[in-house]
Amino acid sequence: MFRKILIANRGEIAVRVIRTLREMGIGSVAVYSDADRTSLHVRMADEAEHVGPSASSESYLWIDKILDAAKKHGAEAIHPGYGFLSENAEFAAACEDAGVVFIGPSAASIRAMGSKTDARRNAIAAGTPVVPGTDHAISLAEAVEFGREHGYPLLLKAVAGGGGKGMRSVYRAAELESAYRNAASEAERAFRNSEIYVEKLIERPRHIEIQLIGDRHGNMVHLGERECSIQRRHQKVVEESPSPLVALHPEMRSAMGEAAVRAARAVDYYNAGTIEFLVDPDRRFYFLEMNTRLQVEHPVTELVTGLDLVRLQVEVAAGGRLPFTQDHVRWSGSAIECRIYAEDPYNNFLPYPGTLTRLDRPMGPGVRLDGCVYTGWTVPLEYDPLLAKLAVWAGTREETIARMIRALREYDVGGIRTNIGFFRQILEDEEFRAGHLHTGFIEEFFARNRPPNAPPDFAAIAALAAALDHVRRESSQAPAAGNGASPWLTAGRAELLR
Amino acid sequence: MKLRLIVGGAEEELELLSQPPVCRFRWQGTEHEANVEMPEPGVYSVLIDGRSYDAAVEHRPDVTVVVIDGHRFEIQVRDPRRWSRQSGSRGAGAVETLSAPMPGKVVRVLVSPGDAVEAGQGLLVVEAMKMQNELKASRAGRVSVIHAREGATVAAGEPLATIE
Repeated sequence: MFRKILIANRGEIAVRVIRTLREMGIGSVAVYSDADRTSLHVRMADEAEHVGPSASSESYLWIDKILDAAKKHGAEAIHPGYGFLSENAEFAAACEDAGVVFIGPSAASIRAMGSKTDARRNAIAAGTPVVPGTDHAISLAEAVEFGREHGYPLLLKAVAGGGGKGMRSVYRAAELESAYRNAASEAERAFRNSEIYVEKLIERPRHIEIQLIGDRHGNMVHLGERECSIQRRHQKVVEESPSPLVALHPEMRSAMGEAAVRAARAVDYYNAGTIEFLVDPDRRFYFLEMNTRLQVEHPVTELVTGLDLVRLQVEVAAGGRLPFTQDHVRWSGSAIECRIYAEDPYNNFLPYPGTLTRLDRPMGPGVRLDGCVYTGWTVPLEYDPLLAKLAVWAGTREETIARMIRALREYDVGGIRTNIGFFRQILEDEEFRAGHLHTGFIEEFFARNRPPNAPPDFAAIAALAAALDHVRRESSQAPAAGNGASPWLTAGRAELLR
Repeated sequence: MKLRLIVGGAEEELELLSQPPVCRFRWQGTEHEANVEMPEPGVYSVLIDGRSYDAAVEHRPDVTVVVIDGHRFEIQVRDPRRWSRQSGSRGAGAVETLSAPMPGKVVRVLVSPGDAVEAGQGLLVVEAMKMQNELKASRAGRVSVIHAREGATVAAGEPLATIE
């Protein structure tokens, strides 16, 4: 087993990996940019190395700097987390050349699944159903032709894409040209690759994905599904397992699981990976893409299977065999995760960076919090504003929803805006509770809901608190306020003297 | 002590009749008695009519934010004892300046000075935290000034465009 591992990432995922490494008795090396000197992953790791300025292209994405840090600290393996270099085949190959183990699949598997168009070709070859679309980057003229042939709506996507960047839905031919240009420019900015491809848009689809884990001895199992249909800006914000749809139709789990294992085997896959499917209203599923890394939402799978995916990743990367077979995988209860972001959901999800002035974390039965924040920390402008992932487990979906609402009520972050209150509203929504999910859920949710109104008795309490705080501040600013006297008393006396 | 509070656009009076921990106050014509403690900095524990509330208070330059059980109140406190610059309503329908809601980088300017714009029309695209956000006109009018250039880094609150 490795003695020391470098985490080529930041934020909550770096913290999450460090936790498992500590449980395994493995030393951890953090890397950080200028913006992250005081970030939690640096404070928690055993060792830390500065890798450059705040721009990720000059720090977390700079392969040589990461490898130099690994060499300097004597790390035998690198965990890439998600994002940054995690799906970069060049990086996986560079690790191998440098004699450092990349905790993930081979460079060849990443290449085979990394580009969405190659992934589609491989999925088709493995007999996995795919959505009609082009298998290659297309020009604007070709996109127009595709629209003429297959009709609208259609979806433009970045060849090198992920996280919804460089993606546009197009409902009418007249919108195509500007959508194509915007998608290409966003893709260029995000991935330094402006190539775009097109596919037929499936309306009201569910996003359901299968978690895979495999070793280097040819063993590959699936760990069931996660439903991630609740998305904003094409990014998942609520994930759960089991999927409420699969819970009603249990045969879907094995059908999708087996299709996913087949697609992964076709590219000689090992380590953790996820196959994403779109599921249409008739429960037909289509291969969407493969994420050749650990997913953000892996905790829900861990909660229902009782496994530690990071531990398994490290063990199989060290050459170990999977300690179980498909028949041994058991699912229990229900888990939901909410991604807590620094953003204002009632103002078009605008990012809301700033300094945390107050932090109350949810605790108690069945609650898991994977975060990277603390009071006094400033959310950096340079990176994704994910603050934490709140995941809860209970025996049934109904109990899990009630537990999540309870945990969200305990969760308070001061100084910035977050989507915590928004999640409470989502989890109280009748459609959500009924399990009627699809990727356009949030748009429809906004159409039928207003921001929540406070109970009527709250206004008087808020007014009283604001007034008392005003008095307290006035009196503490007043000169010669007395020696250690209570600010209340001082203010009271000042009032009497008026 | 009487304070004028502006809550949700409406001005109300709150009269403090006694100081904590046993705090009597009059609000919207009704007198209440509350037991108030501050167990943590900036957090008031309020017991009133047998019910328990935690109110967290944050200060912004122009407003006090109170959060109770996730519900957020923005309150301006006007102390009649220090009556000063606290007035100033703008002339109706005159000039409106769009300012950056968060720090970021201006990636595109979609209009030019002199352009007529509709309410809801995109004026600029600002990128922050890897997201491109189109900032829209809050009302119809004519663009008089574009304050920011493409590629410029802007701070929160910095003016971007003015509509007349």
